[in-house]
Amino acid sequence: MMAGINETISWISRVGLTVVAIVVGLFVLADMFANQWAGEIFGIQGLKQIIGGVGYFLVIWTAIVVAFALLLGVVNVVNVHWGHIHARKSNSIYSMVLLVSLAVTLVFGIGGPSSSNTQFIFEYILQPLESTLFALLAIFIATAAFRAFRVHDLETFFFVLFAIIVLLGQVPVGLYLWSELPVIKDWILEVPTLAGARGILLGVALGTIATGLRVLLGADRPYTD
Amino acid sequence: MNQALLALAFLLGFIGLLTFFTVRVRAGQKPALRRIRAFDTLKELMGRAVESGRMLHVSLGVGSMANQSTADSLAGLSVLNFLSDQAAETNTPPIVSMSDPTVMLFAQNAVRTAHADSLAGVEEASRQVRWIAPQPAAYAAGVMNILDSEEVDGTVMVGKFGDEYLLMGETAARHGMAHIGGTSDPNTLPFIYASAQETLLGEEIYAAGAYLKNNPANLASLVAQDGIRWVVALIIIGGVLVATLNWGWLWILIAVLIAVFLASIIVSWLR
Repeated sequence: MMAGINETISWISRVGLTVVAIVVGLFVLADMFANQWAGEIFGIQGLKQIIGGVGYFLVIWTAIVVAFALLLGVVNVVNVHWGHIHARKSNSIYSMVLLVSLAVTLVFGIGGPSSSNTQFIFEYILQPLESTLFALLAIFIATAAFRAFRVHDLETFFFVLFAIIVLLGQVPVGLYLWSELPVIKDWILEVPTLAGARGILLGVALGTIATGLRVLLGADRPYTD
Repeated sequence: MNQALLALAFLLGFIGLLTFFTVRVRAGQKPALRRIRAFDTLKELMGRAVESGRMLHVSLGVGSMANQSTADSLAGLSVLNFLSDQAAETNTPPIVSMSDPTVMLFAQNAVRTAHADSLAGVEEASRQVRWIAPQPAAYAAGVMNILDSEEVDGTVMVGKFGDEYLLMGETAARHGMAHIGGTSDPNTLPFIYASAQETLLGEEIYAAGAYLKNNPANLASLVAQDGIRWVVALIIIGGVLVATLNWGWLWILIAVLIAVFLASIIVSWLR
């Protein structure tokens, strides 16, 4: 009996969520079209304003949901790292540092994102740390290139060939080796590379539209599955 | 011409094709899918991790569920759905990381649904879903720490990524762990190609539902995408010819070609 009631409630909530998702999705999509529509939509007075108004409210609600999700994210961070400390994992000292940093940032950040304390944390702690981490990319690119530059089939042969030409065409020594190298490099970047990138982007655009339509038509339901 | 009307017509055409192919796939017709090695490997990764007594790491990237990167995040969630279902059978939930808290909510939903049969399983799986940080660099640092310090056998990174991918990808490569990467951003693809063992390039990430779960709507959307791709290619080639030769009447020929092409696909799927 209870199982039957639970199943019914679950079915109703699933259908309800799907209907809400479809209706909201259709309104936001309609808002996108309404914004681009030249003149009144099919000659109906005020329809554009109504769709625009509803779409605007839905986007505002999204911002509120995202802000609430951020709060849940912070709870998740505390939960995960408190669990590490509680379980006395080998690197739990880092979890302690993280939780202390979180608390300190919260206290210093009470004045808001534009307060001098928050600006200090961003300018003198966060940004230098991010820059340091991204500086590692130079080394990582070198090691990744070293591994990728092993020719084992036709595909990797062309990968290496084009990489060498672009690399030499990019640096002054390439010009001394052969004056045409920078010209070939430019051609590689502007013709085959751009054509390939556009092909990928075309596929990505179609894939994105198809994914959106599946959600909009209720065929994909990531919010209930 | 009204651009919005043109876009609406395109969208309605897409919906029409998608609905038609979904009905046909549900009726039992299946499209022939080309082999994508990354999906074959993905099906074996969880088994390998269980055998080695270690965990799998799934990264959903730096994308969100509330902006242009939603489709990429949904693609990552499709992969997570598949791996979570596999993990539920052996009760070895993967570590799931992401940079956006909205994606975290969907990831928690996915692992909870997969482990719904056991309360302990739900709790353990939910504990392994970790929101790390909203900044890409901080997120990469968090993932590098997971790959370095946790007992991870392999990593699957599918979603929206930027330059930070290489920091995580190289950490995985340094540990010699199984590594599948995929994103739609052409600027990030070289990093994935250089560091991952198996790659999902561009639109391949959106095919996860079709390849991993044989979902009729996903299979149908692959066929619809292929049909529309040919139409777009014909329009591009036609546009180049019309602009080069200045033959406006060529558009009529192209329109007829497109109509014949679409009709032939539909007829072949009606048999």
